[in-house]
Amino acid sequence: MNKSIRPFAFLSFALLAVTAVYASDMTKSYEMPDASQIVKDDLIPGATKYTMPKDCKLDDLESIARGEYMFHNLNSKNDKKENLPKGMKAPKEGEVKAYGNCVACHNIEGAVGGGTVGPPLVGYKANFMDTKVRDAQFVYQKIADPRVDANTTAMTINLTSQMFDESEICDITAYVIQAKKEKIRKK
Amino acid sequence: MNSLLLKKVLLGLSLTTALLVAGEQFSMSAADKAMYEELKENNPADMNVEEGMELFEELGDEAALAKFLEIDEKKLPEYITGFPRYIKKMGNVVGLDQVLQVMQMEQTKKKDALNSESMTNLLAYVKSLGNDLPINIDVKENKEMEAAHALGEKLYLEERGYRGLSCNSCHALPGTVLRTQILPEMGAQNTGGTWPGYRMTLSKVVTLQERSRTCMRDAGQAPLPLGSKEMVALEVYITNLAKNNKHKVEIPGLKR
Ligand code: HEC
Ligand code: HEC
Repeated sequence: MNKSIRPFAFLSFALLAVTAVYASDMTKSYEMPDASQIVKDDLIPGATKYTMPKDCKLDDLESIARGEYMFHNLNSKNDKKENLPKGMKAPKEGEVKAYGNCVACHNIEGAVGGGTVGPPLVGYKANFMDTKVRDAQFVYQKIADPRVDANTTAMTINLTSQMFDESEICDITAYVIQAKKEKIRKK
Repeated sequence: MNSLLLKKVLLGLSLTTALLVAGEQFSMSAADKAMYEELKENNPADMNVEEGMELFEELGDEAALAKFLEIDEKKLPEYITGFPRYIKKMGNVVGLDQVLQVMQMEQTKKKDALNSESMTNLLAYVKSLGNDLPINIDVKENKEMEAAHALGEKLYLEERGYRGLSCNSCHALPGTVLRTQILPEMGAQNTGGTWPGYRMTLSKVVTLQERSRTCMRDAGQAPLPLGSKEMVALEVYITNLAKNNKHKVEIPGLKR
């Protein structure tokens, strides 16, 4: 390096170093927490095909009642022991169990504030099952993981996301595909 | 325990979360709507903006901010409409609130936390300096902005959490009804230009990032922390949607 520019070079190096320290200090003077791990932990596995278990009791009244309960409720916060359908898995002490909240998006018999995001499921047995447009396996798969036939659907993913287990998907399927009596829901 | 399962268990452990979830289910009653009309005339958040103005004065006002941002003070309002921006000396794409934090630190003041009321007020005031000007975020301005926009888009479209929903699951369906609430189309209704805003259901002023965290909780996603690269990226994406719809900055918003 030419002698005459050396002091200048040194000076600019020193300036650079000062700026660098300044800049790194500045990075520490505001909040910017790292969320990449939170995002990673929250991802769910890809679209998964399921076969409806053979022991799904699709016309069992207790199963249907549990399905109905999970369809219409957001979570276990407002559970009252005396209203809870037989065989419902109780959340552990101090925990809140998330339910389907399906009614947020779908209208169905007895829905309170049913949404229009998803298609109405009113009269599902007569309209879709009896006409053979759908079968139980289709509905089971749709609830378990709808992405297999609609990749970007707004429909929730209920089994692959571990929101529910297989027997609970059976219960909800049973409720959707069976004829509903008038006023089947107790309020 | 699997992390998704763990979150499912943790859901609702916090009472506030549970209350929020429940509260979010109900839409506006006739009385609410009447109140909304009344509040439109006189947004309670105007008081917060005024408080923010006083806090900003203590920080040295527009002159100090323009100096920090190394721009001409006359250009400040227009420049503000372009946030979140890549600020080289801060090393990241950042929101105005993060800029204000650094200014507080440089003046050896205590920095206000991003979730504090004072910072929300300060942010509301400073952003309102850009009121009535077109949102001019430039997501192609440099590679950092391009990366932030790409990350924001990915996070907006990606299904996450125990219900397997993405932001887009609901926000690509304008006009449909979720639990009696009409789903907003963020670009068309200027979401990017109207926060901080007053939320009637919470009776307080909330930032865009805080509002987004509510949706994350409700949709079963783990809420991303305020100010994280990811959250700022989502703000970049949502702000750009508003820009694409030719919206202006209108602070403070008035929301359900
Ligand atoms: C956030 C909105 C949303 C929620 C919550 C939701 N769904 Fe859906 N659902 C949809 C949409 C949108 C479709 C149509 C697209 C598709 O088939 O994936 C759909 C489709 C369906 C279908 C297929 C109907 C047919 O015959 O084509 C069934 C069955 C169904 N949902 C049941 C449920 C059940 C049961 C739950 C709760 C466990 C639920 N949904 C929760 C949005 C939702
Ligand atoms: C299950 C449906 C659903 C999902 C998923 C969802 N949102 Fe929302 N979002 C809503 C509804 C409904 C509203 C309007 C509620 C109201 O009236 O206050 C809303 C409102 C908002 C608003 C305020 C819009 C405005 O200007 O008033 C923001 C911001 C927002 N959501 C961000 C997000 C982000 C970010 C995500 C994803 C991380 C997300 N949302 C996912 C349903 C959803």
